[in-house]
Parts: sequence; structure tokens; C-alpha cells
Amino acid sequence: MNLTRNRVQSIGWAFVLTICVALTVVLTLRVNAVKGQVREAENRMVALQQNIRFLEVEFQTRANQQQLAALNSVEFGYLAPAAGQYIEGERQLASLGVPRAPGAPKPIRMAHAVTETESLAFAAMVSPVTGKTPSVPDSDSAVRREAVAPASAGGGKDLVGSVIANTGAGSRPARVKLAEAGAD
Amino acid sequence: MSTLAISTRVTSSRRRIVNVRRRTLTTAKARALIVLALFALIAMAALLRIAWLGLFAEGGGEFSLADALMPARGEIVDRNGEVLARDFSAYALWFKPDEMENGPALVHRREDVARALVRIFPDLSYREVMAKLASKKGVHLRERILPEQANRVHALGEPAIQIPREPDRIYPQGSMAAHVLGYVDVDEGGQVGMEAWFEEDLTGEQTRMQPAVLSIDARVQGALEDELGWGMAMSNAKGAAGVILDVDTGEVLALASLPAFNPNKVKASDKWVPDDLARRGEAANVFNRVTNQVYELGSTFKPITVAAALDAGTIRDLGSRYASGRPIEIGGFTIRDSHALGGSLNVPETLIHSSNIATAHIADELGGKRLKHAMQALGMNERPYIELPAKGFPLWPKGDWSRVTTMTVAYGHGIAVTPLHLASAYAALVNGGVWRPATLRKLAPADVPAGRRVFKAATSARMRQMLRMIVVYGTGKKADAPGFRVGGKTGSAEKPGVGGYQRSSLVSTFAAAFPMDRPRYVVIAMLDEPQGTVATSGQRTAAWNAAPVVSRVVPRVGPILGIMPDVSRDVDISDLKPLIPGGSAQ
Repeated sequence: MNLTRNRVQSIGWAFVLTICVALTVVLTLRVNAVKGQVREAENRMVALQQNIRFLEVEFQTRANQQQLAALNSVEFGYLAPAAGQYIEGERQLASLGVPRAPGAPKPIRMAHAVTETESLAFAAMVSPVTGKTPSVPDSDSAVRREAVAPASAGGGKDLVGSVIANTGAGSRPARVKLAEAGAD
Repeated sequence: MSTLAISTRVTSSRRRIVNVRRRTLTTAKARALIVLALFALIAMAALLRIAWLGLFAEGGGEFSLADALMPARGEIVDRNGEVLARDFSAYALWFKPDEMENGPALVHRREDVARALVRIFPDLSYREVMAKLASKKGVHLRERILPEQANRVHALGEPAIQIPREPDRIYPQGSMAAHVLGYVDVDEGGQVGMEAWFEEDLTGEQTRMQPAVLSIDARVQGALEDELGWGMAMSNAKGAAGVILDVDTGEVLALASLPAFNPNKVKASDKWVPDDLARRGEAANVFNRVTNQVYELGSTFKPITVAAALDAGTIRDLGSRYASGRPIEIGGFTIRDSHALGGSLNVPETLIHSSNIATAHIADELGGKRLKHAMQALGMNERPYIELPAKGFPLWPKGDWSRVTTMTVAYGHGIAVTPLHLASAYAALVNGGVWRPATLRKLAPADVPAGRRVFKAATSARMRQMLRMIVVYGTGKKADAPGFRVGGKTGSAEKPGVGGYQRSSLVSTFAAAFPMDRPRYVVIAMLDEPQGTVATSGQRTAAWNAAPVVSRVVPRVGPILGIMPDVSRDVDISDLKPLIPGGSAQ
């Protein structure tokens, strides 16, 4: 087989053409694959939208005006606010605060000392399902004991601060407090 | 020679063997080639198919997100976008025996399946379920089931018991605004309310994506229905109707007719009443008392008569007195008052004490022609203007009005209109004198109709003062809501029956507007045949049942509608106070 210049050229063209066709095929396959993904995503969107509608309907039905009115009449008994409960504007709001008259005694300020028994400032969280306070895992209990000791010794000290200081990094002061409340 | 002969024989036989062998080999090769070619063909076909799929297949044709999410029927929303009616695909429960081929329809025993179904739906009858499960054709076991029930049915593992999603219409607010919305009949489409009116828009290819917006405010509607229900229960009435209308645009913010029905589940008894009850004037629950039933609305017409007289100039001085001492005998009728009100009354006193006799005199002075003209201008001689398909035609005195007709129409007898007519008329009475048609579509500011002038602005201003005086000093005291400057008029009319008016069955109405210093909304509350109960101090008149409804509705809806209660504001009635006994002292 002798390769003339012409023949080399045509083989070259054929090769280029084949490469182009192959690339086109690959590209088209890729495009169609992406199209397929888009369609899949759209289907998911439709499914999710329908789910949202379903939930919306449920919410609207459960929260309809008659249900809310019934709930209000049974549980809360709220009434429409009367005329006296409305304020016209900033001026009327300001008029409610009266400046101290000359010679009037200074307003009495109340102080509050934290005693040992009421040292736990926050009420314990109660689960609405079980009615129990959440318990703290055992790993925290050592830290908890440690936290309580200096506080009880200190009496009127800032308890929360000492708890935070003593539990150190990595532990959760909020949960420590909860568990203590539960123990009480 | 013989050797040669032998060798020749040997050679020929070997050649034959070789020939056979070659032929066999060729056949084997050919077969192998054919098989190979077949495999190659199949492989090629598969490759081509894959390439074809990869290159040209669309995978289920054209797909559009909008189409997939397009509801079968459009939504109806209130003026704030709160959904009042929407599409919903609900679960149904079917038994389809042909789902299972070649063999029994059910996987488990029929009795077990029936028992399991009854356990999920305790109201199903075991025997009926058994009968249905034995059928050869598909049957509906239940029209609608809840999602959790659908899950439990699915867990039964019976392919023949199916839970397809079927398109349905849901009204999340239940019976609220039922008469405004109507309902959808599976075969006949929208019925009764705006479902029927918007039928084309709700089902149109182009239009159903956009929700149909009503002028109703769901919160106001709820409050009106609550309080009308309270009034109805308190007075033991057989029905109630109410409407709240924007006086400047004619938009209906709430329209309630009780007893209502639940459009999610319309029963046959909601649509029809037995003939004997219908003859006694009972109406089915779908019947709209606000737009379809006409009533003689009694004394609520008196302010209209007075306004017509002021407008025509027959009342030039509000202090001029009209006789009220003696009943009027005319054309076989006797016009009397419920109780003696003294020898004569001026105009504000006539309204405050609701004197039929004095109003009849005012109308007599005005003349039938002018009163008729005013009533026509208020649309009292035609069906009410509203989009609902069911609209009642008023009982309208034909021809020229005689003296007696004029006198009775003046206090709301001998003419029967719907409560919606009255609402539109009161809107014109207080808004400066312009009558506009009522509408249930939310109007853009540019779409508000110009309306037609019925009363002069000065007349309207006087009427605001007098309507407020009725509530401050007169029969409407129980309608007052502190700070909301309510003005209005009571009306208690006896219902016409066999052999004249029935003293025992009344229609009590309170027509109100607020705030009177710059009226924005008209509120009509009407009770059909209220009874004297302990809660109403044994009274059946509007002052004791319809007026308290208004005084409870207004504080609930006022703030929602942007009216702030303010006890320091009111319409100025100081120039009319001296006309009331003791008024100037107050």
C-alpha cells in the first residue's frame, strides 16, 4: 500500500470526522443525562410541592376559624380589646409615664439576694409528653457534684457563674442546671 | 498391478475421508460463523438501541412543572389571600378484584380481610364488607379515608384493596362562608355560591392557575357568624342573616346566613326540605337568607323615608312636629304604635322612639311618587346586585302608590326586600348619598363603581347624626359599642302569614353603620322568628336580640378593619340635642 499525499489527507479527514462524531455522541449523551437529572429533580419538586399542599391543607383545616374560636371560648376566653386598651400614638403613650413631682420620695428599688434554697434561677424543663424533667447522662454527674460543692460552701455567691467555671470546656452548664432542678 | 490396484483403493478411500472431514469442518465453521454473526447482530442492536436512547429519547415526552402543579379547579381566596376553597387529592378505598390474575382476588381469607377493615373503620358493617369483597366488579368501599387509615390499609398487604388518590374540593374553614362559596357537585360543577359564579374562571385552562379573589375577609366573616350564632341561640331564633358592607366601595366583607351547611359534605337534607315544611315557610340550609329571601324589614325603613323627605325638602325643620297620638285609620288599615308616644313628635324623636304613626305622616307629606322614586333609586324594585346566582325578587307595590301604600312602605311594611338591599341602602344613607351595587369580588381602587347619587351630601350628614342618636338615646342603645360610634336603627316586623300578620312571629333586624363620624362599614344583623327567652328578658324585638349582636360584632371586626375605638371622638350631634327631651342637659 503506497501512501500518497492525497490518501493521507483523506485518511486525516476521516479521522477528524470520526473524532468529531465521537465527541458529538459523547456530548449528546452527557446532555441527555443532565436532562434526565433535571427531569428527576422536577419530579421530586412536584412530589414535594404536592406534599406541601397536603400539609398546608391539614394546617389550614386544623387551624380554621371555628376551631380557634372554640379553643378560645374553652381555654382562653379572650375578648376583643376595649376602647381603653388602645393608644392613639406616641404622645398618648408618653402621657402614661408621669415625671416625678418635685419633692416626691425617690422610687423604692427592690434588692434580691440569691439564697441557697432558691439558687436555681430557672425552672426545670418538663417534657410535655412524659411530664418528666430531662435527666443528664452519668458522665456529667461527676462534674455536677463538683459544681454543687463550692456553690453550697460559698452561700450567696453567683451560682451560675461558679457552675460554668467549674464544669470547664466541653460540658454543658445549662444541662447541669436542669439536672439539679430535677434532683430537687 | 495388483499392488497398484490396492494402493489406488487406499488412496481413494482416504481422499473420501478427508473430503468428509473437510466438509464437516466447513459446516462447523459456517455454523460457528452464523452464531457469531447472530451474537454480533444482537450486540449491535443493543448498542444501537442504547445509543438511540441516550441520544434521542426524551423519557416520557414533554414535561412541564406548571402543568403538573396546575389544580383541576382553581382556588378561591379571601381578600387577604386566605384560602377558602382549594383542590385536594384525597384517599379513597376501593376493592378491585381483577388486580390479582389467575386465582382468588384476595391473598388472605375474606373473613380476615373484612375483619381487619372493620377494625380500621369501625363504622363499616362486617356483613356489607363481606358482600362487597365477594363481588366480581370493582366497588367503592369508602369514599374518603384519612392518611393514617390509608397507611393501615396499605399494611394489610392486599393488592386488590386499593387506596387511589382522587381529586376533591376542600373548604378548610368548614361551614364558614358556605353560602358565599357554595359547593362543587361531582357532575354538575359549582353550585349555589361563587363556585357557580366563577365556574368558567376556576376550570379554564388559562385562568385556573390564578386564584379567584373574594371581597370577603375571613376573620370578619368568622366573627359575624360567631355572633349571629350567639344571637340565634340566645333568642332561640330559627335562622339568622348578617352582612358587613364597605360603604364606599360596595364590597361585601362578610355575608352569613344561618343555619349554614358544610360544603365539604353537603347532605341531601341541606338541599331540600320536605314539602310540608316548605309549605310552612321553612327553607333548606343552602338557601341564602341574605340575598335570596325577602322580608318586610319594618322600622329599619324609617330612616330611608326621613332621608327622602329631607332630600325632597318636605322636612325643612327637624323640629317640626308630626302627630303621633292617635292611630291612623286608612283604607281599612290601622297604623298604630307599639306604645303611646305622646301627642306629637319631632323628626329625631320619631326615629328615636320608632313611631309608625309619625313616620306615616312624614311619608304622607312627602307623597307616594317621591318615596317610590327614592326606593327605586336604592334598587329596592329589582333583584339585589351581587354575584351569587340565587337572588330574591322584592315584593314591590306595583303602579302608582296609594296613600296607604306610601304610609306602610314608610315604616317597612307592604314592601319586602332582602337584607342585602337594606345594607346597600344604608351604605348610601351614610356615605354621602351615593348608592353602589354590592359585590363579592375584591375591587382595586380604580374599579370602584361611580355609583348613583340618591341623597344629597347634606341629607346624609343629617342621617348620620340621627342614626347615632337612635343608638345613644333610643331603641338601639344595646347596639352601642364604646368607642366605635355605632349608629343604626332597629326593625321588628311581624311576618305575613295566613289571614294577615302574625303577631307571634317576628323578623328582628338591626341595620347599623360605624364609625358614625366617618362611616366606613354597614352591619346588618337579622334574626328570623326570635323567641322571648330569659336571655332576652322575654322580649322578641330587635332591641333585645339583633342590637346586642351588632354591639358584639363591631368591637371584634372594627380593629381588623382598621377602625380604632376612641371614646373621645363622635359625630357632632350638639345641634340636634335640644330637640330631645333632656338632650340639651346631657
